Amino acid sequence: MPRNGALALTFNALVVVFMLAPLVIVCLVAFTPENTLSLPGWSWSLRWFEKVFHHPDFMTSFVNSLWLASTSATLSVALAVPSAMAITRGEFRGRGALEALFLSPLVIPHLVLGVALLQLFSHIGATGSFFWLMLAHVLIITPYAMRLLISAMTGYDRTVEHAALSLGASRWTMFVRVTLPMILPGVTGGWLLCFINSFDELTMSIFITAPSTITLPVRMYMYATESIDPMMAAVSALIVALTATTALILDRIYGLDRVLVGQR
Amino acid sequence: MPFLELDNLTKQYGHLYAVENVSLTVEQGEFISLLGPSGCGKTTTLQMIAGFVEATAGAIRLQGRDITHAPANSRGLGIVFQSYALFPHMTVAGNVSFGLEMQKVSKAERARRVDHALTLVHLDAYADRYPRELSGGQRQRVALARALVIQPPLLLLDEPLSNLDAKLREAMQFELRNIQQQVGTTTIMVTHDQAEAFSVSDRVVVMQSGKVMQIDTPYQVYEHPATDFISRFVGKTNMIPSAPGHPQRHIRPEKLRLVAAGSGRVNATVAERFFLGSQWFYHLTSDLGELTVTIPNDGSAPQAPGTVVGVQWDEANMRTLAEGRA
Repeated sequence: MPRNGALALTFNALVVVFMLAPLVIVCLVAFTPENTLSLPGWSWSLRWFEKVFHHPDFMTSFVNSLWLASTSATLSVALAVPSAMAITRGEFRGRGALEALFLSPLVIPHLVLGVALLQLFSHIGATGSFFWLMLAHVLIITPYAMRLLISAMTGYDRTVEHAALSLGASRWTMFVRVTLPMILPGVTGGWLLCFINSFDELTMSIFITAPSTITLPVRMYMYATESIDPMMAAVSALIVALTATTALILDRIYGLDRVLVGQR
Repeated sequence: MPFLELDNLTKQYGHLYAVENVSLTVEQGEFISLLGPSGCGKTTTLQMIAGFVEATAGAIRLQGRDITHAPANSRGLGIVFQSYALFPHMTVAGNVSFGLEMQKVSKAERARRVDHALTLVHLDAYADRYPRELSGGQRQRVALARALVIQPPLLLLDEPLSNLDAKLREAMQFELRNIQQQVGTTTIMVTHDQAEAFSVSDRVVVMQSGKVMQIDTPYQVYEHPATDFISRFVGKTNMIPSAPGHPQRHIRPEKLRLVAAGSGRVNATVAERFFLGSQWFYHLTSDLGELTVTIPNDGSAPQAPGTVVGVQWDEANMRTLAEGRA
């Protein structure tokens, strides 16, 4: 195995420190007993976490976000499974164009999408609707599910499905008993990535959330424009914990590098 | 009424014929091999019987029933795929049990039949393993058990032994034949390996460019090939020039004998000599052109390169073939 040079090692170390240091500091600040954003010294306190859990707006938004992220991730995966199947297996005109279309939300700025959807929603009277907010999230997170499912299905040996058919399985039974279990890593991986991306989305959501549907990132943004106190750090620490846990699960069942880099 | 009948079966892709007017009748319990080089249409023929490829024209009749356009999952055939196509997320027992579950066989009956099928292929001790924990030969036997457990009227084998190493392949050939004879299932195997086709089949169907060239017993195919192409495809052969206007004559290398110079039908010089273990393989140059001769390694001293020898044969072993059909 080639050894890394000192320069490369230093560079990598710096990148990692640069990426992680803010997170570590935020998480540490969350435990401060003070009223200002300061690192805890020898005394640690959970008072800011307590404050989060007793803050009705934050709790409502947290539940909103959880609910929004899980429903939109589920819908995205439900859409992405048949689409990815058609794209990886079908032989029809415009297959490449279709794949590009499904992945295109990745390159549209969320800011632009937010403004556009705000106009659309007020036009059709959908402002404040959780359902339409969910659809907007589905729009921007589906590419992640697509990407993972396409790589899970590329190189999939279809004779296994032929075997199931030859043994008398109906097409539906074949899908449930054979196809789905074989692409399950892609399905779960896609769902978790969608969940994280929806849970984290701020830029677009600012425009299209109404008071009853405010998500956690939007709530944090609103709170931060008014006052900065360690409660923000506590919320951030909670989000970091949630995301890290999801990433850990993802890594356990599928291998994070495979999920994010893809197999194509 | 034949057990299985292919009646002018044809598959066309655009203007290209993958399979053209293939007709074949198979009797119950027969072991038939479809033999030919890659691209000869043998696999497409098998896939049409299996129901994975839709026939363009012609008919497939199984036990008198027309199944030409029946969906694959209604045909009830046992299929062993080249890649084995085992379900990776199911155990060996789970794989074998799948077809019985589809037939809604009761749990107790399923367990009994799975056990019986695994015993047949000597894998009863591996029921709880996953396919990834098995060797190539074991996977192949799981695939065979999975195909046979549903007691199909017809067993289809798609290059079943091609992923195994030489030694295992030979052992599996005999095992395959044994199992087939025990169970008595009518079998169609696709292969490009003539030795494999010869050793296990009752009859061989030689295919070339989508067409059937010859249907015969292995011995007849080897000894009396219908065309020049078949003669070369199923073994080595020597072309003996004949008088102008007469058909080409062929003789197999093992039908030639080396004798003392001057006492054979022709004299030849040993150009090269290869040792193959059980036999010697000679390249000779003679007035009849280049000759190849195989001599059993019976312990006698081989001829050295450069030696002039006589070549002898029985005229009865000489074959005359229709020309230009290669």
